[in-house]
Amino acid sequence: MIDYPVLTVTTFLPLVGAAAILLVGGERLARWIALATTLATLAVSTPLYWHFDKGSSALQFVESRDWIPAWNIGYGMGVDGISLPFIFLAALLSVLCVGASWTAIQSRVREFYAALLVAETAMIGLFVASNLFLFFVFWELIVIPIFLLIGVWGGPGRVYAAVKFLLFTLAGSVLMLVGIISIHHICGTLDFKELALTTSLQPEHQAWLFAAFLAAFAVKVPMFPVHTWLPNAHTEAPTAGSVILAGILLKMGAYGFLRISLPILPDAVQRFLMPMLVVSVVAIVYGAYVTLVQKDMKRLIAFSSVSHMGFVTLGIFTLNQRGVEGAILQMINHGIISAALFLCVGMIYERTHTREIKDYGGVGKPAPVYSTLLALFCLAAAGFPGLNSFVGEFLIIGGAFEAEAWLGAMAIWGVALGTTYVVWLYYRVVMGETNPGLKGLRLELNAREVATLAPLALLALSLGLHPESVLSYLRAPVAQLLAAGVTP
Amino acid sequence: MNGATLADLALLVPELILVGMALVLILVARRIQQTPVAAVGTVLAALLAAFCSGRTWSGGAETAFGGMITVDGYSQFFKVLIAATLALAALLSVRSIDREQVPRAEYHVLLLLASTGMMLAVSALDLLTLYLGLELMTICSYILVGITVERPTSNEAAIKYFLLASFASALLLYGISLTYGVTGATDFAAIASALVKEGPGGNPLLFVAIGLVTVGIAFKIAAVPLHAWAPDAYQGAIAPVAAFLAAGSKAAGLAALGRVGLVAFGSEADVLSAVLLGLAALSILVGSVVALSQTDMKRLLAYSSISHAGYALLGLIAGTPEGVSAMMTYAFFYVFMTLGIFGVVIALGERGESLDGYRGLAAQRPGTAALLLLFLLSLTGIPPTAGFVAKFVVILSAVRAGYVTLAVLAVACSVVSAFIYMRVAVLMYMREPQDAAPSRFPVAVSAALGVAALVTLIGGISPGSLTPWAVSP
Repeated sequence: MIDYPVLTVTTFLPLVGAAAILLVGGERLARWIALATTLATLAVSTPLYWHFDKGSSALQFVESRDWIPAWNIGYGMGVDGISLPFIFLAALLSVLCVGASWTAIQSRVREFYAALLVAETAMIGLFVASNLFLFFVFWELIVIPIFLLIGVWGGPGRVYAAVKFLLFTLAGSVLMLVGIISIHHICGTLDFKELALTTSLQPEHQAWLFAAFLAAFAVKVPMFPVHTWLPNAHTEAPTAGSVILAGILLKMGAYGFLRISLPILPDAVQRFLMPMLVVSVVAIVYGAYVTLVQKDMKRLIAFSSVSHMGFVTLGIFTLNQRGVEGAILQMINHGIISAALFLCVGMIYERTHTREIKDYGGVGKPAPVYSTLLALFCLAAAGFPGLNSFVGEFLIIGGAFEAEAWLGAMAIWGVALGTTYVVWLYYRVVMGETNPGLKGLRLELNAREVATLAPLALLALSLGLHPESVLSYLRAPVAQLLAAGVTP
Repeated sequence: MNGATLADLALLVPELILVGMALVLILVARRIQQTPVAAVGTVLAALLAAFCSGRTWSGGAETAFGGMITVDGYSQFFKVLIAATLALAALLSVRSIDREQVPRAEYHVLLLLASTGMMLAVSALDLLTLYLGLELMTICSYILVGITVERPTSNEAAIKYFLLASFASALLLYGISLTYGVTGATDFAAIASALVKEGPGGNPLLFVAIGLVTVGIAFKIAAVPLHAWAPDAYQGAIAPVAAFLAAGSKAAGLAALGRVGLVAFGSEADVLSAVLLGLAALSILVGSVVALSQTDMKRLLAYSSISHAGYALLGLIAGTPEGVSAMMTYAFFYVFMTLGIFGVVIALGERGESLDGYRGLAAQRPGTAALLLLFLLSLTGIPPTAGFVAKFVVILSAVRAGYVTLAVLAVACSVVSAFIYMRVAVLMYMREPQDAAPSRFPVAVSAALGVAALVTLIGGISPGSLTPWAVSP
């Protein structure tokens, strides 16, 4: 087994890297330290996947220490099959973010990489926290680096986007804080495991608490109608910021539902089931229609996230094994695909400095490798069989039919629209005659960029062909989650 | 009542040290040619006083001067805090004093005497001692606010402060006399036992008395509706004085309110809670909302300090020892983050006074900007900073006392204040600089900033570290 606190090390290693970058001068050095730190983090997390016991639904690699004995709050970390894939995703995307920013970020380089690494600590920490207090600390910790990433290194509307992002997320999370404090008052503990077993939360308590946590989670997911910060933030953020936002930050809200709402507030989940399902379906269909009319590539991918995350919340609230497994798999899939699409857009933007779709066209001829990779990710986003999203969406829709037939029907409508907008995007960017404005630009990817996209392409393919590699982790914890009392 | 014995004086060592240093400085005032000399004296006295406060902290409570003064964990906690405020304020003053040509020795004497008043107020066991302590603090503060005699704004601020504070002192005195009328006593223990004998709600005059005493003390912490002096005084005074007032006056006022509420008026907790509830809710709301429209940094911080007074009062509403210790935690961390943010304002000099001066600071001085960001985050209450821990404990105590709606109001307003604080962060990080880069900070100022930042960070990472000391009376 592993004889060091692997979760703590994985979580805080990036923070050490951030400190090193700030202490040691030099922009070139900052890049290399960031790359080394993110790679090292990925490396130290690998023992987790080897030594993980997939048959167990309990938290593993548990670390628990006294932290604030006066309030009965400990420092607790642990992972189960639900959180483990996200640690890998967060660690991997952080490496790719460093790669994607290598030449794109030219001003205040040290601060950029420091912020990126602080964000990585918060991302990983959130998924390994085993009590609400620590969960909240990481939940809030990520807001500041992302706020800076958008606001300092973003596009023309960056300040508005950054402030909007900050206020939306804070407004949600302070209500969660009251919820956490109320839980602490009622139950006297904030440990996830103890809270899942507690019986002191009465149904009327649960309803209020569910609402308080919903405020935080819905903003992060983002669910309709509090999704309006997302298009601004995703569009204005630098590529690395968009990747973190789409890849991990959006998953934090859905993870919150799985980790807190479902196990701790089962009565309230039953009570609010129908509104949650309806809102999810609205997000799928409405998000898809709004995506169709976007003229800006980044904005288009951003809005498609609203639709895709609608699938995730739909899957979670079907409350059956298939739906929930599909939702978690889809969270991973969306993390891979939307991160890849943002990277693709970022790479071509670095050359053309425009995100307007009408400025593109015929990219295929001058940039065949780029176009091939983009095709792969677009097909994956559309749910093409053999690629990763297909499995996730298939499971979610199956789960939705199991719950309510009309939900499944609406979801299929969303899939059809989804295919339309990605194929149309691809058609307008890659096919046809090369746009005269693109003449004379070197559009083809260089080796560093191919290396950045390759892991994601491999993942999209391998998860599509062998989804069991993630699903096998999910089976036991999801079964346990549903058996604990939230099954309808 | 017997005359003071040596044993009585022994309990007052921290106060005596401060007064002694004040006397020494007055005597040698003419000989002090350099500001650091006076500052070093003040800082030494403060450190010594803090050390002695820790030393005389035998664990149990002792009384002196016929029960007028006590030395217990509560008073020593606040004495250490006040001494720290004094030391940091003295360090932060170094450059401002030279620039504004403030009389060096006199300035430090006033700081020392005001701190002595604060220390007396936090150890008072009698309404009259409490009044004397608070008045000593306030009178020194008037002069400190108006100490730059050449500046009209400073004079205006001092006069406004004086008029409003005299009014509040009259209210406090009137409350004390009514309390005496109802209970026949001014010392806390006797008031408490008389009230218990009377039974709750026994005398309608009592409601007025408690209200007036509470409101009179609430003036010192600038709680709404007794906040009007703070923005003017902070803006008119030189920044170190504003910092000293924001941190010290608030700590002393909160300590006094905590002890009076819990010990003297403990049996009338309902009346007290009602008054404090109003003060807290209004302070949080008005402080956060009005700060939105400020463009002067010191005014902005004044409104921020008003809303923070409201948050600290959340701890007192419960009327439980646990709530009081939540308030103590809040006051402690608040003092350091406030002195920290004022420290940055002071370090930046003229440029720090208006919001526009913060444009592009991160590009010019990344370290200073990061420090300021830390204090801003702490004031907003974002983990892992001390401000989050402080907010967590007071909201926890409000929720435990059943005031969930108030807790929701408090956190909702913290989003408003987040917008205010982050506006500064936006200017620092996301705008182009207008002014030339600030010059190097004096060592003293950097040291004070370092201490404040360290406490703000450690308090956030290890939230339980303060709990053993934050013990209510």
